[in-house]
Amino acid sequence: MFAYIVKRLLAGIVVMLLVSLSIFLLFWYGPSEPARAICDTKTSQRCTPAKLEVFTEELGYNNAWYTEFPEYVGGIFTGRDITIASQTTRCDAPCLGLSYKNGKPVWDEMKGRLPATFSVAIGGAFLYLLLGVPLGVAAARRRGTVADKSLVSSFLVLSSVPYYLFALLTFLYFSVLFEAPFIGNPGYVPFTESPSGWVGGLALAWICLGIFGCTQYTRYSRGAMVEALSEDYVRTAKAKGLPQREVVYKHALRAALVPVVTIFGIDFGTLLAGTIFTEKIFDIDGIGLWALLAVGQKDLPIVQATALFAAVALILSNLLVDLLYSVLDPRVRLS
Amino acid sequence: MSAETAGPETLGHLSDEPKGEDPGTKGRTITGKSPMRIAMGRLLRDKIALVCMAVVLFFVLIAVFAGPLQKLFGVSTETVLPSQFLNLDLTPKAEYGPPYGPLTMEHPFGIAPRTATDNLAFWLEGAQNSLQIAAIATVLAMLLGVTLGLLGGFLGGAVDRFLTFVTDFFLTLPFILAALTIAPIINERFRDSPNYATVQVVALIGVLAGFGWMSVARLIRGEVLSLREREFVQAARVMGMPTGRLLIKELLPNLVAPIVVASSLMLPAFVSAEAGLAFLGIGVTTRPSWGQTLNQGISFFETYPLYLYQPLIGIVLLVLALNLLGDALRDALDPKTRR
Repeated sequence: MFAYIVKRLLAGIVVMLLVSLSIFLLFWYGPSEPARAICDTKTSQRCTPAKLEVFTEELGYNNAWYTEFPEYVGGIFTGRDITIASQTTRCDAPCLGLSYKNGKPVWDEMKGRLPATFSVAIGGAFLYLLLGVPLGVAAARRRGTVADKSLVSSFLVLSSVPYYLFALLTFLYFSVLFEAPFIGNPGYVPFTESPSGWVGGLALAWICLGIFGCTQYTRYSRGAMVEALSEDYVRTAKAKGLPQREVVYKHALRAALVPVVTIFGIDFGTLLAGTIFTEKIFDIDGIGLWALLAVGQKDLPIVQATALFAAVALILSNLLVDLLYSVLDPRVRLS
Repeated sequence: MSAETAGPETLGHLSDEPKGEDPGTKGRTITGKSPMRIAMGRLLRDKIALVCMAVVLFFVLIAVFAGPLQKLFGVSTETVLPSQFLNLDLTPKAEYGPPYGPLTMEHPFGIAPRTATDNLAFWLEGAQNSLQIAAIATVLAMLLGVTLGLLGGFLGGAVDRFLTFVTDFFLTLPFILAALTIAPIINERFRDSPNYATVQVVALIGVLAGFGWMSVARLIRGEVLSLREREFVQAARVMGMPTGRLLIKELLPNLVAPIVVASSLMLPAFVSAEAGLAFLGIGVTTRPSWGQTLNQGISFFETYPLYLYQPLIGIVLLVLALNLLGDALRDALDPKTRR
């Protein structure tokens, strides 16, 4: 068990290093003139080749990647000073570079946007489970009936529609055309500022994510439940005269939840990594929307930082699922 | 398989009966059906699959004949002086169709707000763009996935471990993020290039294929792992068949069913991804894509919903039909489903 955890942790660290290196290299060698955007900003669109060269030198793009990458990583842990246009800015840890547009540390703005993305992710993920698992259990108990069949086929159709179209239509009908009752304008309001505004602004996004995402959970938990209900221990539990509810929820569901937990962990990581469509459609100022704006403005440090953040969120959630799995499922623990 | 042919009785059977005389086959002609024919038969009996096939065929024809169709309707995506077609609020004038006027034959789908492009021409080219990109990306992703899956599964050992690691590594990177990261770099690098349009499409196909092959590689690897222990593979090995030939001649034909199913489910995913990226503004920008119209249509939804619904219906119909067809194919090709 301990060896397994250590092994998984080490593998996770290796993957994280590899991912950050690939992202770094992509941004290092990808653009032909990486300093162009900042040069344009600083000289108000009058960037001459000579000035461009100065900026390229200042940003370290003339050095080799293997001297700059450790510096970038070091900045994340200890912070560093970055000089742009002979103006040195202290970039505190975790330093993810300076924005090319406003010259401020990327992390400062990211910090402000994290709560929005977290809020979307938590609400959406909560609804995944809240809607998905009970529906799956109910369908499994009524396997083969009309209700089960219609649920399964309607969810198949729903999950075949691209998510962003579903979200877009929800937004257009329940926010633009008809104002849905009890729900304010979509957008993020900090929970500490106004709890009701927080719920109201995110409600549509949550419902959208929840309804669309729960189709997968219904399918998985239905499948796992059907399997669990045919197990011998469930028959034994029934035979000893336990009430139906107890058999279903205490005996069968506990076993059926293991695979669901796995997907849930990964899905939650994906949500944290950036709910780009949701944030764009419902106009929520989170990481995803920010990355999208930065792409439009060619603000490479921001794009790089969001990519890194997303990759780390995903890797960590994968790792967490693996560890959790080893706790939940004895077969993994013992192998 | 009947009970008589299995079990200890068969041994006695063989010695008692003269060889070549199987009691079950006596007196009636055997009609053999290849697994593919059985699958086709099942598919043709499936009404949903038939409808989906018709829808897909419709879109494929549109994509192939987008150019001639535009000529037939006398429309084109080029607009000279958009402002002459538009009201001050950038919606089309009533004489050019909805939302304020009736549909005209000159512009059967109306014209777009803001740019005054003909909607039918744009829609046709959007369908072409969508299917083209998705089809090429699917072929590339399948090639990559099947090759790596075959190699990893068959060779095993260090190669397999390395390929599994690469697969898992790519699986940790979400593809939308890759597209988001690569878009500004492509934009920056090839901004002034005369081939910018081509580069953009190639890059998009590259991203789709580069982040779509992993599931196929895993699937194929799993299949190969079980196939390689089978007798026919061992026989081929014993005969000294070279590995490359063995992979292509012996293993690949046994993988047709999973490959067909995986590609038929990958195609709609790519159609949807292409439009989604264009909707976000990080996909195709240099030629018509349904996703662009979606993005443009949001701000005109209240006055001109039809504009938004054209690409939306296109995407939903195509993706839904492809997905359901993929499911039907899976059922048809699976020998375990009995109907």
